[in-house]
Amino acid sequence: MDDRILIEARKITKTFPGVRALDNVDFELRGGETHILLGENGAGKSTLMKILSGAYAPDAGEVYIDGQKVEVYDPRVAQRMGVSIIYQEFNLIPYMNVAQNIFLGRFPLKYGLIDHKTMHADAAALLSSLNMNVDTHTLIVDLSTAQQQMVEVAKALSIKSKILIMDEPTSSLSERETEQLFATIHQLNTKGIGIIYISHRLQEIQEVGHRVTVLRDGQWVGQKAINEVTVDDLVGMMVGHSVAQMFKRDPQPRGAECLRVENLCKGKRLHNISLRLHSGEIVGLAGLVGSGRTDLARAVFGVDSYDSGRIYLFGTAVRDLGASDMVDQGISLIPEDRKNQGLALILPVAENIVVSSLDRLFPRLFVSKNKENAIAMNYVEQLRITTPSTSRLAQYLSGGNQQKVVLAKWLCTKAKIFIFDEPTRGIDVGAKAEIHSFMNGLVKEGAAILMISSELPEVIGMSDRIYVMREGRIVAEIPHTEATQERIIELAMGADEVRKNRMQAETMRSQQ
Amino acid sequence: MGPAKLTAQGVAPARERPWMVGAARFIVLIAVCSLMTILTRSDEYGLVFLNVSNLLNIVRNASILIIIGIGQTITLTARDVDLSVGSVLSLTSVVAAIMMNKYGIVFPAAIFAALLIGAILGLVNGLLITYVGLPPFLATYGTLWVLFGFSYLILQGAVIYGFPAGFRVIGNGSLLGIPMPIIVMAVAFICGYFVLNHTTLGRRFFATGANIETAKMSGIRVDRIIIAAYVISGFLAALAGLVLIAYTNGSEARIGDSYLLPVLAVVVMGGTSLSGGQGNLLGTLVAALIMAVIHNGMNILAVPAIWQSLVVGLLIIGTVLADQWLRQRA
Amino acid sequence: MELKTSSFLIRVPSAAWVILLMMTVFTAINARYLTLDNIVNIVLQNAVLLILALGATLVILSEGLDLSLGSVLTLSGVTCAYVMESLMDSGTPNGVAMGAGVGVGLLTGALMGTITGGLVSLGKMPPFIASLGMMGVGGALSLVLAKSTAIYIRNPLFSFFGERLDRSIDLPLMQYFSMPAFIAIVVFSVVWVMLYHTPFGRYIIAIGGNESGARLSGINTVYWKWMVYVVAAVLAAISGVTLAARLEAADSIVGVGWEFDAIAATILGGTSFAKGKGGIAGTVLGVLVIGVARNGLNVIGVQSLWQPALTGTIIILAIVFEIILSRWKEGRRWARQN
Repeated sequence: MDDRILIEARKITKTFPGVRALDNVDFELRGGETHILLGENGAGKSTLMKILSGAYAPDAGEVYIDGQKVEVYDPRVAQRMGVSIIYQEFNLIPYMNVAQNIFLGRFPLKYGLIDHKTMHADAAALLSSLNMNVDTHTLIVDLSTAQQQMVEVAKALSIKSKILIMDEPTSSLSERETEQLFATIHQLNTKGIGIIYISHRLQEIQEVGHRVTVLRDGQWVGQKAINEVTVDDLVGMMVGHSVAQMFKRDPQPRGAECLRVENLCKGKRLHNISLRLHSGEIVGLAGLVGSGRTDLARAVFGVDSYDSGRIYLFGTAVRDLGASDMVDQGISLIPEDRKNQGLALILPVAENIVVSSLDRLFPRLFVSKNKENAIAMNYVEQLRITTPSTSRLAQYLSGGNQQKVVLAKWLCTKAKIFIFDEPTRGIDVGAKAEIHSFMNGLVKEGAAILMISSELPEVIGMSDRIYVMREGRIVAEIPHTEATQERIIELAMGADEVRKNRMQAETMRSQQ
Repeated sequence: MGPAKLTAQGVAPARERPWMVGAARFIVLIAVCSLMTILTRSDEYGLVFLNVSNLLNIVRNASILIIIGIGQTITLTARDVDLSVGSVLSLTSVVAAIMMNKYGIVFPAAIFAALLIGAILGLVNGLLITYVGLPPFLATYGTLWVLFGFSYLILQGAVIYGFPAGFRVIGNGSLLGIPMPIIVMAVAFICGYFVLNHTTLGRRFFATGANIETAKMSGIRVDRIIIAAYVISGFLAALAGLVLIAYTNGSEARIGDSYLLPVLAVVVMGGTSLSGGQGNLLGTLVAALIMAVIHNGMNILAVPAIWQSLVVGLLIIGTVLADQWLRQRA
Repeated sequence: MELKTSSFLIRVPSAAWVILLMMTVFTAINARYLTLDNIVNIVLQNAVLLILALGATLVILSEGLDLSLGSVLTLSGVTCAYVMESLMDSGTPNGVAMGAGVGVGLLTGALMGTITGGLVSLGKMPPFIASLGMMGVGGALSLVLAKSTAIYIRNPLFSFFGERLDRSIDLPLMQYFSMPAFIAIVVFSVVWVMLYHTPFGRYIIAIGGNESGARLSGINTVYWKWMVYVVAAVLAAISGVTLAARLEAADSIVGVGWEFDAIAATILGGTSFAKGKGGIAGTVLGVLVIGVARNGLNVIGVQSLWQPALTGTIIILAIVFEIILSRWKEGRRWARQN
């Protein structure tokens, strides 16, 4: 790490409807350093990253590159100024080869035709400087994710980037591939290239980073040198000590078991998942993004298939039931992506509400608009949905109200088991509280809720028990009395593994 | 996953303000009728356009298109286009014609066979789309050509004419002074409107077309729904074919070819969205009437047939462009 | 760790299997099928279709669709014949008339392609609606020019480009070569170079494979998307003009439905509707599938009335086979990576 400041963000503020993503955040990157950007889901990491790469414009604050303030900043300008960003979904062309992807739009020409020889030679040189020995004639689709990532890095190098932003680069890599990536990163650093590395894998951060900046709820919490902090320090910074008191559960007596999952496996996504759900309970499912929580929900609900394992609904085994049968059995899934999977945006509120209960509400096939609207109105009032009428198209409602419509749809099915996937994401505080009180009301009447959430205060406040998932496995089941944010984050990130490994290493060293 | 399907910013689509957009179409219809009345008025014959028999003529001519249009509106609501309707019409009517004329089979059986075959062809389309996973336009376009081949094979290039009188009632007869084709069309339209807008099946059509992911996650068996839509379309195409050959008293292999482009034009002009979930049967009806009026007027004015198909082609392009332009004006 | 699909069997395109199967069946039924003369016949008869199919392939590679290509073929043949005959009637020498006719024919194609491409790229119309509309327009214009008969072409210089070489060159083996086939080879080579050795060709694949990625890499996707339609239409025009030379006439019926064959050939050749996968080499195989099917049914004595139906069915079945096979191959690739 040297003394040049490659890129700097000062007092960045960015607000989206209903949520302040970043509030007066500072960040700087020095030449030759790998600077980690750390924080929980929703802390503001990806927003800051997008601002630094020119994809978003900040509402307040400035970006400086090489000490110069950048007035007009968009992705093209960013590229020209040497900033490259590698997203989790790569921007590569699947059926073109490596060399062509690296030089896309900048092909070397000879007499107006592509100079394949030069192109492949230059590409090969770039790859070998990254210690990658893939044939440059290989198609992108034939490369592993790790190799594709390297192609993206090579692409960035080919446009002489000095600043590389990497978003969760190791999320789909094996351990060996991760090691190779780190070696590459060290090498880039020695060449003076600065890397902004976004991650929440505590194990890796210590190996690859020089400094770390922690964000929490859009706020800048602190910036430290890696060798001056411990895992516990970082966890503490990420969690903070302001646990909101608004999430209050209303514990109910635990009833009969209504859902049991045994040894559910699905490819590389889910490994031997077992859990139980009883009526009257709210059970939380915590874990990082990508830990497999949504995959689990979809497999249980029946919309995705699974490889092996057993699911029991109210004591009876169910197997190979598709979503529509599961709905008939009384289970429901309120999805994470409410716009694309929970609602039909171009249809009116009323139709969205009755769509899963059509046979029950209209047994003789005839649908009367009056009855449909009346039923919908009933839920609109019960859930206090703000809409001028039930004929309003769902797309015009606010996020909180849209979520209430989705909830209404499932209430209408008289379901007994509810799986909520991020129920209050992107919703303002008032609506959040309302949804929580509905959830309490549901379990009071004997329903069971499995709640996936990345908002730890919500998980801790609302759940009777919490399962923690990490990388496709359930690593712990924590009763309410033992649930703390630190404990959950440690389990979700594997900090306990880090500590265990370090302790083992210490023990081994002391025995020599 | 792509972005959720939305209507254009700031423009509420037909379903939220049905009275206004529908009124716009009616106004266009009346305007076109007035235009034709004026254009065709001559000192010799008086108001050529605006007399009862001519108007009934127009509606009768439009009936075939409307019957097919009902099916097309339904498939577009639930999923996407059905390009095979012309060939389905040809093939089923050819089969019925041969059954009646060459094999002397009683016409009710021939009618039943034609409708059944139409439904089965729709089933084939539906299966190609859901289980094989072909994009709908490819599946139905392929079916179009294969069926054309079979029509040609069966009829061997000849033309069959002269059907039993009982059968011809469908095309020639009238009820209370209204020609039978119009009656059949009206019945089909009322049934179609009822199914699409007032039954659970219709609600499922809309839900599947509006967002297939959400529909699946809401417990709808989307494969069955899509297949049902295409079966209906095939059935209606066959029905239209029966009415057509009853009226013209003749059948040939390519009889349905000329309906594909107009039915697409009419459905799009009627406000049904090409991306699914927004079917407007009434709009299809009015648009078909508008087209029939224009055709009728051009005929009266003796515009050569060649230019008429050019007009239809331009009409499609113009309508879709105008539709998109209108949607972008807040 | 490289994940090439290494097994030879997997890399053989499905079309090759289909052709092999058909040829086996046909030869078994009628041994006269497998003669050199017949094989050459297949090649010669489908040269024009190949040129058309190349255009369809380019459009599909860019994730587009053009249903009007058949109409473009018809219309350019008609305009070429119309101009040529009109000029020759007023005394213009054959060569000049031919040049003018061919020029007008190609220009017609370019114009149609410009409109279609504009509607899709600028007007953001769904490609199949835009091209369906243009198909109607093209068909109608052909009718206007040719009326309901054909325009006969009496231009020996022009006809030369449509016939077998043994008609003009009296040497042995000349009956195995034809000008349309040569034209097809030349066109194929040009398209090959364009697709694999020019930036334009790479842009086509990029737009088809990842349009937003292409845009982020600085490619002017709106412009290049447009150009694909123009090029495809010009190719259709070349095929239309060549066909007119071969038939020594042009009418409004001749190209109708050919876009189905062109698109089918493209898909049979392994080019898929998404992701920019595939290429023109496969299209050659696809054209062969169609050609072998048609020719074979003829040789084994199937009644001409059955032929369109059976050919269509064979094509659909072959397409379904190709799609299922390619999905299986994709599944193996995906499973390996996950």
